[in-house]
Amino acid sequence: MKYMLMMNTMKAGQGVPAWPKKDLQAHVAFMMKFVKQLQESGELVAAEGLAFPDQAKVVRAGKDGLPITDGVFPESKEFLAGYWIVDVDSPERAYALAAQASAAPGIGGEPLNMPIEVRAVMSCPPPEML
Amino acid sequence: MKYILLMTGTNAGAKGYHAWSQKDIDAHMAVLVSLNKELGESGEFVATQGLSEPSEAKLVRGEKDGIPVTDGVFPEAKEFLLGYWIVDVNSPERAYQIAARISTAPGPGGVPTNMPIEVRRFATPRA
Repeated sequence: MKYMLMMNTMKAGQGVPAWPKKDLQAHVAFMMKFVKQLQESGELVAAEGLAFPDQAKVVRAGKDGLPITDGVFPESKEFLAGYWIVDVDSPERAYALAAQASAAPGIGGEPLNMPIEVRAVMSCPPPEML
Repeated sequence: MKYILLMTGTNAGAKGYHAWSQKDIDAHMAVLVSLNKELGESGEFVATQGLSEPSEAKLVRGEKDGIPVTDGVFPEAKEFLLGYWIVDVNSPERAYQIAARISTAPGPGGVPTNMPIEVRRFATPRA
């Protein structure tokens, strides 16, 4: 079964975190190692990092169907920083992987213990939606 | 360049979807399926997925011992990801255009939902 693990840790307008370079490098190294581990275990489906929220846009269609673009978000909005899609045998395994990602190092190498949202992926719309 | 188009909604909004008539659901899905087909033909399609209901979502943190702490309690206002499209396009404007098409997908009574679609560029562009 497929799960999406989401890092919803960014806030509106945020760019590169103001961490010492050494700490940023350790964080990125941790993330690269985590992806490598998932590749080796055969559990990785996809993983991506997103550009920072200072570049995010929200789009709506106007009456004429043309895009109305806006970059204004409520302050409370959480932004997706990145995600992993994993193919695992149980939800518990997805939670264990999420806990591993949660402990990625932050400033001074301290584990962030950031919250990771875990959601099942539907490989197709459920029958009642088709 | 790759963009992800994120469709989000609250738990209450997602539950509201269950009140749509079958005809309205069919019309909504038909537009999205036809958009996917069009993006496949133009070579801009990378991936699309729907996520299971927000009521099944869990929040996980690692504790000091690395054991997952699982929790399913979210603020009511929280926006959940309902589904996404990843597209590979030549300009941000093209990504906005595709997002607008998703935004016009019909809702109850065939009226366009005009729902907001969040557009984000991938930080790691790949050839």
